[in-house]
Amino acid sequence: MERLVYSDVRETLYREVLPNGLEVIVLPKEGFRKTYATFSTRYGSIDNRFAVGDRPPIEVPDGIAHFLEHKMFEEPTGDIFATFASQGASANAFTSFDRTVYLFSATEQIEKNLVTLLDFVQHPYFTDENVEKEKGIIEQEINMYRDNADWRVYFGLIDAMYHNHPIHIDIAGTVESIRQIDKATLYRCYETFYHPGNMMLFVVGGVDAERIFGLVRDNQSRKSFPPQEEIRRFFDAEPESVKKPKTKAVLPVSLPKCMFGFKEKRTGFTGRELQRREAATKLMLESLIGPSSPLYQSLYDDNLISDSFGHEYNSAPDYAFSVIGGDTPDPDALLDRFRVAVDRALADGLQKTSFERAKRKKSAVICAC
Amino acid sequence: MTVDRFERGSIGRLRLHVMPTKRFKTFAISLFAGVPLSESTVTATALTPFVLRRGTASTPETIAFRERLDDMYGAGFGFDVYKRGDSQIVQFRMDVINDQFVSSDRSLLEAAMRLLGEVLTEPALEGGVFRSKYVEAEKTTVRKRLEAIVNDKIRYAAERCIEVMCAEEPYRLHPLGQLDAIGAITPESLYASYRDWLERAAFDLYVVGDTSMEEVARLVTESFKLSAGQPASYERPDVTREAGEVKVVIERMDVSQGKLNMGLRTRIDYGDDRYPALLMYNGILGGYPHSKLFMNVRERASLAYYAASRLDGHKGLMTIQSGIEIGNYDKAVQIIKEQLDSMRSGKLSELEMSQTKAMLANHLRELQDSAYEQIAYDFNAVLSGKERSPDELLGRVQAVTEADIVKVAERVMLDTIYFLRDGKEE
Repeated sequence: MERLVYSDVRETLYREVLPNGLEVIVLPKEGFRKTYATFSTRYGSIDNRFAVGDRPPIEVPDGIAHFLEHKMFEEPTGDIFATFASQGASANAFTSFDRTVYLFSATEQIEKNLVTLLDFVQHPYFTDENVEKEKGIIEQEINMYRDNADWRVYFGLIDAMYHNHPIHIDIAGTVESIRQIDKATLYRCYETFYHPGNMMLFVVGGVDAERIFGLVRDNQSRKSFPPQEEIRRFFDAEPESVKKPKTKAVLPVSLPKCMFGFKEKRTGFTGRELQRREAATKLMLESLIGPSSPLYQSLYDDNLISDSFGHEYNSAPDYAFSVIGGDTPDPDALLDRFRVAVDRALADGLQKTSFERAKRKKSAVICAC
Repeated sequence: MTVDRFERGSIGRLRLHVMPTKRFKTFAISLFAGVPLSESTVTATALTPFVLRRGTASTPETIAFRERLDDMYGAGFGFDVYKRGDSQIVQFRMDVINDQFVSSDRSLLEAAMRLLGEVLTEPALEGGVFRSKYVEAEKTTVRKRLEAIVNDKIRYAAERCIEVMCAEEPYRLHPLGQLDAIGAITPESLYASYRDWLERAAFDLYVVGDTSMEEVARLVTESFKLSAGQPASYERPDVTREAGEVKVVIERMDVSQGKLNMGLRTRIDYGDDRYPALLMYNGILGGYPHSKLFMNVRERASLAYYAASRLDGHKGLMTIQSGIEIGNYDKAVQIIKEQLDSMRSGKLSELEMSQTKAMLANHLRELQDSAYEQIAYDFNAVLSGKERSPDELLGRVQAVTEADIVKVAERVMLDTIYFLRDGKEE
């Protein structure tokens, strides 16, 4: 068990990689009643073409990682939510571009809940019948997002940016793609991506690190997994250009929603360099277009943006992009004003004071966690 | 484990609630200002915090105001306008890091309290009234917000259901006011209504963090320029109103999925001794993924992705919401009604009882880890006049029997069914 001290934020982490490859991290928080645990796999919506070891690559239907997440909650004994409820834990899960995360929070029976979490995620139970039944539920989830204008504009932007990279595929897939999902493919994905060597357990709360590690070691040592083989993910080469510079959809909304962003031409960064670039880009965006910037205020004064206006930056080794925008009565005017401001910033640089302010703000946010 | 508690005090018209604790790295500050919901004042009251957040007498320009926040190590500042019971509540929220964690040469709590005091009591003025530039801009902002309600179909359907259900009560009003009342507001009229609001509202200030009642009281005296007087209290709404014949409203819009909402009157509110049993009722019916609605509408019938119930404890209302295939309307309504019937006939399993108690207990325990959740929980006592600590409510929930829940079920009346479906009318 390795001890990692972060004196700036006064936190200490404990970390260990178990013999089966599972990475475990515990962050004890003294004085807190709640314990929060996440059990995650490096498997998300973008992992749609892959191979294990020297077997040939396969391509799987869009939305399968998310479908798998739904199905994991079913056990032969029934729905796992019921088990967590009996143990007073609030459980949930989510699937993003590059990970699937199972989690619970509880104030009592922490060890029991932790075992439930480890056991249900490490025990798939798919039948033809329960796979079919889930399609109706996920179809309604997809339809719910189709009516959600914020989601549509966000995914519309990513779709317009990327030609080939599967980041442009909706996380839940489509009604058509999920109809192709069957039990065998689910097991195949499960066996590939839910190997302990591709997963991480993180526990934070009023816990004793030694006890948690003892429990997890014991739980894992009683399960057997085939030796871990290398997972290879395949992505077609992504051109530097965007797929479409502009795209539109019509939905019943009171004001147009406009999002725009920049697709990074240079990718391939990992580790600290990836982190550094992400932090620098976020600081740049905050200085340029954050709520304290002159640009933000002038756009607000001219009624081109509202409180919904914001920005974010997503980065991973094989893709990176920014998303900026919100509600606006005049998307073209907003874009024109933004372009002028970017040109000016490129010529004159950012204001030192606004940069320093953004930096201080970001570091305090990290400290306060 | 030591339990942190709120200490109480007051300075003039401001009630103070301070929880000294070293558990958090930040100070959490909330200021609640509540007035009765009323058609004549709801819009001006809603607009007021939007204008107040534009600047203060000492920092009248919005950019400078935001820079002032950023310079306090990125202090968070926000506000919300909502309704609880029959009151319209404006809540200002600030969070600022404890100076110990950064190399600040001044007290950040003091800076935050000064700013909040200025926002509330010393706004930026011109010619003795609000700046017209800010009033006009924020009128547009509120107008856009009201118009935007329709953008989120789930929320829109929920609000329409309440509007239909409470058509004859102040609760029908949206906390952000009425679209057609915005146009007539002027800097003069808004300033007059702000002065009136300052005189009428019930004010509660909460601070959670490494501080003391003495320090907060001193900072309030220095920073809040309120008129003299005593704290005002909230009126407890009448929740005894019965549902008549079930109102059914079906509206059409361009949606892919139908949004089914039901409004029910429980005729029990937060201060009622039956409230713990009402929490159990809501939990078993639709509060969780193990509840009857989720299990039957979603898991057994595969009709929906979400199917849940929610409680407004101060108004005694419960709402049910689900997103369904439009053609499944009758089927979904029938399944939901069956669940309400099974609650009334006492079809409650041991497992449902114990699961729901465990979930409520977990919620009541874990809210004590969050400064803002503790503030929100405690404010229930101010609103209802009923003091009940989380641990006390937990004890009462544990003691709830099946018979208690059936008694609650007998009081619950379905009032309204609202369905938002596809296509334009005609």
